[in-house]
Amino acid sequence: MIDPRNNLIALTDKNSEQLRTVLERIFAAAQPGAVYSEPVVSGNYTVITASEVASGGGFGSGVGFGPATPPAKKQPDEEVSQAEQANSGGGGIGGGGGSVGRPVAIIIIGPDGVTVKPVFDLTKIALAGITAWTAMLAVFRRARKASKG
Amino acid sequence: MRLKDVFQVQTVSGQPVTVDSVTVTPQSQALIVRLPIGGFVWNRPTAILVERNEAAKRFPIVDITRILQLLLLGFSLVLTIVSLVKFSQRKERRP
Repeated sequence: MIDPRNNLIALTDKNSEQLRTVLERIFAAAQPGAVYSEPVVSGNYTVITASEVASGGGFGSGVGFGPATPPAKKQPDEEVSQAEQANSGGGGIGGGGGSVGRPVAIIIIGPDGVTVKPVFDLTKIALAGITAWTAMLAVFRRARKASKG
Repeated sequence: MRLKDVFQVQTVSGQPVTVDSVTVTPQSQALIVRLPIGGFVWNRPTAILVERNEAAKRFPIVDITRILQLLLLGFSLVLTIVSLVKFSQRKERRP
């Protein structure tokens, strides 16, 4: 006879193992290979892109056991044994994650030597500026309102 | 679980790239947060080590976007604090 409880626990353990493998892949972002691209050769020049990489993830799982159906809702002809009731249960597993990357610098190896050119992300600066000034204006407005009231 | 096991900072050198007589070794620094239910990795390039004719030179990689972002936010924060302090001082002086 197949024991559903053991089956469920085994399945949850298997899924947890799979998620741990996924997590190890997330930790692979700590390797320098994730930050520096493969060299691209064009004529006399070799170009390598250096990027900032951030990745993260998390998971969780749960298992519960109990009677399959409440006694009041049971059909008269339906017979549920004590063992079957005890073996009924459910489990779940879930997780999520993501990663972001942003170019930081371009390394150019050419006939005149090695140069590191920084990448300037105007959009990020503009967004930071708008956020900062909006927050400042909100604080000033509150302060002015508080002084009037 | 010790704090050392949860937070780790690693400085790693990558695979060297050789072009003619120049060898470039990339270096990166990673912050790793390991939790029982997940984790987080932040990896950023720090420098490249250039070796040419048995002479080595380190080129730091500067994240200009991050520096400008932090400067902008810091400036806004300082300006807000100074303005609020002056504002409250002026309010106290009023009869």
